[in-house]
This record gives sequence, C-alpha cells and structure tokens, in this order.
Amino acid sequence: MGDASEAALSPAEVRALACVLDLLVPRSADGRLPGAGELGLVAAIEAALRDAPGLRPAVHLGLAALAERARERGAEGFDALPAAERRAALDAIAAAQPAFVPGLVFHTYVAYYRHDRVLLGLGLEPRPPHPLGYALEPGDFSRLEKVRRRGRLYRD
Amino acid sequence: MAEPGVDVVIVGAGAAGAALAWSLAETRLRIVCLEQGGWMDPSRYPSTGRDWEMRAFGDFALSPNSRGRPEDYPVNDSGSPIRISNFNAVGGSTILYAAHFPRLHPSDFRVRSLDGVAEDWPLDYARLAPYYDLNAEMTGVAGLAGDPAYPPKPVPLPPVPLGVLGDTLARGFDRLGWHWWPSDSAIATREHRGRPPCINLGPCILGCAQGAKGSADVTYWPAALRAGVELRTRCRVREILVREDGMAGGVVYVDPEGVTRRQPAEIVVLACNGVGTPRLLLHSTSRHFPDGLANRSGLVGRNLMFHPYAMVTGFFEDPLGGYKGPTGCCIMSQEFYETDPARGFVRGYTFETLRGMGPVSTALLGLASGRVPWGEDHHRAYAELFDRSAGMVVISEDLPDPENRVTLDPELRDGDGIPAPRIEYRLSENSRRMLAHAVERAKEVLEAAGARSTAAEPLLSLAGWHLMGTARMGRDPERSVVNEWGRCHDVRNLFVADGSLFVTAGGVNPTNTIQALALYIADAMKKRLGNLFD
Repeated sequence: MGDASEAALSPAEVRALACVLDLLVPRSADGRLPGAGELGLVAAIEAALRDAPGLRPAVHLGLAALAERARERGAEGFDALPAAERRAALDAIAAAQPAFVPGLVFHTYVAYYRHDRVLLGLGLEPRPPHPLGYALEPGDFSRLEKVRRRGRLYRD
Repeated sequence: MAEPGVDVVIVGAGAAGAALAWSLAETRLRIVCLEQGGWMDPSRYPSTGRDWEMRAFGDFALSPNSRGRPEDYPVNDSGSPIRISNFNAVGGSTILYAAHFPRLHPSDFRVRSLDGVAEDWPLDYARLAPYYDLNAEMTGVAGLAGDPAYPPKPVPLPPVPLGVLGDTLARGFDRLGWHWWPSDSAIATREHRGRPPCINLGPCILGCAQGAKGSADVTYWPAALRAGVELRTRCRVREILVREDGMAGGVVYVDPEGVTRRQPAEIVVLACNGVGTPRLLLHSTSRHFPDGLANRSGLVGRNLMFHPYAMVTGFFEDPLGGYKGPTGCCIMSQEFYETDPARGFVRGYTFETLRGMGPVSTALLGLASGRVPWGEDHHRAYAELFDRSAGMVVISEDLPDPENRVTLDPELRDGDGIPAPRIEYRLSENSRRMLAHAVERAKEVLEAAGARSTAAEPLLSLAGWHLMGTARMGRDPERSVVNEWGRCHDVRNLFVADGSLFVTAGGVNPTNTIQALALYIADAMKKRLGNLFD
C-alpha cells in the first residue's frame, strides 16, 4: 500500500480529474453509457493511485499543468474552461507529460467497465460469474457429419 | 531433523503427482507427497467477485514472477521469448489450466521413423491408450466420440456447449472443408464423480469456483487421500539425498515453519514439471553426481520444449456471447496436424478456438493494441470489440534442441534460498515457418466464418504453459535420463513422472499425456515391486 496522503487530491484536483475522466470516456452519443467523470469514478482513481506510487506524481503534475493552462485562459480551473477547450488543453498536456494520461486511462477503463451502470448499459448483469453462471446454446453438431465423411486423418 | 522413513516420497502434488499417488495407493505402501503450495479455496477464486478480471494481473497471474505468492519460486526467463507460466498448489498448474484435454496422436510417438526428426518415444500410443482411458474416467473428459483425427477412444461426458461463437467458427471450418471437432475438455458437463456440472462461468484459467473443471485437487487427490496417501503442503523440497551406494535416500525439505527436515524414503518420485524437476536434479549434487543427480548423460535440463503459440483474433458484426462458457474449450481443428512436406516444415499444429473476453479485459487489451482509444471515438471502438471478437490459438509442435535448456541461476534464489531456474530458449526455424503458416490459415478460417477483420499475434510471449523434455525417457542411457517406464538410468530408485519425460512435444496440450504417463509409470512400478531396483 502506498502513502494515502501523497495520493490525496485537493478539491480543485478532484473537480479537474472528473472533467478529465469525462474526456477519456465521455457519455455515449446515445446516452446509454455515462461518462467516466459523471459516474463518480474519481474515488476509484484515487484508490488506484494509492496502490500505484509510480503514477501519483504524474497525475498530480498533469492536473497542476491543466490548472495552469486554464489560468492562462482566464479560467479558475480546468473544470471552469469551456467544454470545447478542455480537449485541446488535455492533448497539449498529454503531449508535454507523456506519463500523465496512459496510466490514468488504464485505471479509468478498469473502474469504468466494472461499474453497474456501465454493465447494464452494455446489456450485462452486474454480478460476478459465480454462482449463477450463464446459459449457453449447445450448438449444432449435425454438421460434423461432413467431417466424419472425410475419414481417418491420423497416421499410425 | 529427520522424519520417520517412508516407502515412497513424491515431490509435487500437481497433475502427475496426484495421478501417480492415487494409483500407487492401492499397494498400501507408505506414501508421502510434498507440495510447496497449499490447498486452494474455490470459494475465493476470482469468478466469485466483481474484480475477477483484474485478478488475472495479480494473485492469479500466469507468471510466477508477476504473481509472487510465497509458495512461488522465481524463474529467470529473460533468455527466452516465451515466458514461464505455472501455478504452485495442490493440483499444480491444473488450477489455472484451460482444461483442453487432447491426447497425442499415434504418429507423435514415432517422429524419427515417420518424419526423420528428433527421436521416437520408447513407447507407443497403444501402450498408453489404456491409461488415457483411465484418466478420461478419473478426470471426466467431455467431448464427442468419432473424431477422425484420432483412433477410436471413449469420451465419458457430453461436449461443452458451442454457443454462438463455436457455431460461427465451425461454419468457417466447414466452408473451407477443414477438420474441426468439439474439444476434448476436462470439464464435468454433467455431474461426475461427485463434481457438479459446469455452469459456463467463463474464466476457467482463474480456477473453477464451481468445481466442474478437472483440476487435480478435485479429481485424484480426494481419492488418493481416502486411500491413505499423506499429503504435506507448503513443504518445499531443497534437494534429493544420495546414499553412499549412489541410490536416492529421500529428500531434504523446508516445512511451513521454515524448519529444514529430512524425509528418508526407499523410492523418490519427481513430479515437479519440466522446469521444477531438472531444477531439483541439478541442485542435488553429490560425490556420486557432481553435475546433478541422474545427469551422467548431461541431458538433465536440456531439450526444453514449449508449444510456441500464435493467436489470431477475428472481429465480427454480431454478438457472439463469447464471455460465457469455458475460455479455452470450444472447438479445435487438426487439419494441419500431420506432416506435409509441401508446407515447408515438419510436424504440425492444432487450432484451438477461444471464447471472448470480459468487459474490462476487452477494454485493456483494446487499449494495449490501440484499438480502443480514449476520447470521442471510445464507445464506437469498444462496441466493435466487446462480445464481437473470437480468438483462435495455434499450438505448434516444438522440436527438441539440446541448447534449449533449464539451468540454475547463479544469483536468483527463491524464498528459501534455493537457486532459481534459468531458461535459455530460442525459437527454431521450423517453428517460425509453422507459426507463419498457421497464422495465415487462421485468418482464412475467421474470414470464412464472417470476420470483418483479423489481427494476429505471431508469437505469444506469456504462453510457456507446457514444459517438456528436460529429463526425457528412452532406452539408451547416453541419450535419455529415464528408461521407458520412468526410472532414472543412473539411480534405480529415482523416478520422474511429469512433462520432463516427453521425447517430443506433439502439437496438443500435454496434461492428459502427463497424467497418462504417470498412471503408466505407477503401473510399471506396481508390476515390478519385487524387483523394482534390479
């Protein structure tokens, strides 16, 4: 376990990270799947950062750089930037700080695709495989007749 | 500290050790098995929790180096393009295996005679067939009789369901006129010997919480224990003792409390897999055997064979239901199993179809491959992958090469200070050609099945599941480590009963053959109990 204090995000960082998550996995066009930020995955990302000490500095630095860029644009923080400008800002910081986004994307995908709302949106039951398991179609074995007719395929 | 002497000590409680212990138990000999891992608790297997997919990267990772459980030993496999996968527990690597359970072909035992390469085995398919049959009953093999790729054989249980995915791929093989057949699977498709039936959980390779998969902890071990075999878990064997007369005298092991103990025994059986067994032999040096026990041939650790794997994935328009059902058991094809010189390589391979992946794995593998980007295009790209991909792996026959080997690492050690194995392995030109051929044929099948695109991984690196050849059997002591029934040429009360025995690898998963060999060796020992050491 890493040091929780090092991973703790400030309220401003939390707001910025939620916006970043919505850029990484936005709401789907049909509205069936939520954005990662609106799902409230920041807490899950914070938990992941506690166990990924190598990633924590990159996330803190990346969020700080986003905040600085927002201030340059006259906004209070990244979340205060107009939505249309956020992607460009994230692209610029991602290019300047290559360690920032990839680790964040990994943990975002992990948290996102385990969330009940996402699983339901995909048409899946939000549960582990066991103990209910799944029904599966037996399949059509009748077409094996064609294979049988070819006769022996092995050598002695 | 010395324990009371026993008749037989078996090292390793995996596929081979379990089958051999069960078979020998009827002799009423005092049998002790030492296993460095513990009993697994199926109620805590990953498929019982919502985080099941991520545990494949953690405590259920294939590589012992990633997993790092206390019972694991590290492996220096940096000198190999194929990395070692194993598991240390009662049941051994069958805890994580996919339960694909084919037999070798008759021709696999005669590769020198038929194809002019490698060496023939000192036994043939007919000799092993009764033990395959016994193993099918004990393990519970599901499949369908009548496969023209094999001599007739009993299949006790009905096949695993194909599902939409299996039906789709079968159509592809049919359209090309190629062989396919439901996989022989070590999966109880109906209740079998007290094991409940499979309920299509999916991740067999993370342990079977249902208990339907035929891992050795639920097949042979309960019967072996009832018959009186003693199994000591979390006991790691350090070396094999050698008596003044050059015979094995038992083993030295470290118990769960870290105390070093001696276990005297009249017979020692090694069942530690194709890496663990040569590691232990090479570490057991003595005045009689300065280069490692039973190693006068110099072949202990040499001729390491894997099954080089490739994987081709097809992407389809319609849902395949691929996250349901046994991951690695669906249908297989042996269209290209037997040698055809026109293909540019000798020997052959099997296609095994894979089910699809869960939602997290789809996202992460999509991320790694660049197919699932973050941003505006994310959902469109993800939807093209999730539940719409089907994989086919190629399991190709490796040929023995003495330069491919297991040695002892001069620096790396396990938690008890025992030198770790080091792997030196290179892929042969024959294997490269075979894999290249297979990848192209797999694409043809997937396209014939309706895939709109395909992606190939020409060599899977984390696929060192099958560890073979490092203490091979044969009649000539100069060219083999053990005789035709598993007894070391150099030490007449020391036996090997695991994948190390394989003379050649075949092009199929080895567990069924490993267990059939263990049962055959146990039978050979029982028949010779009066003069076993002559």
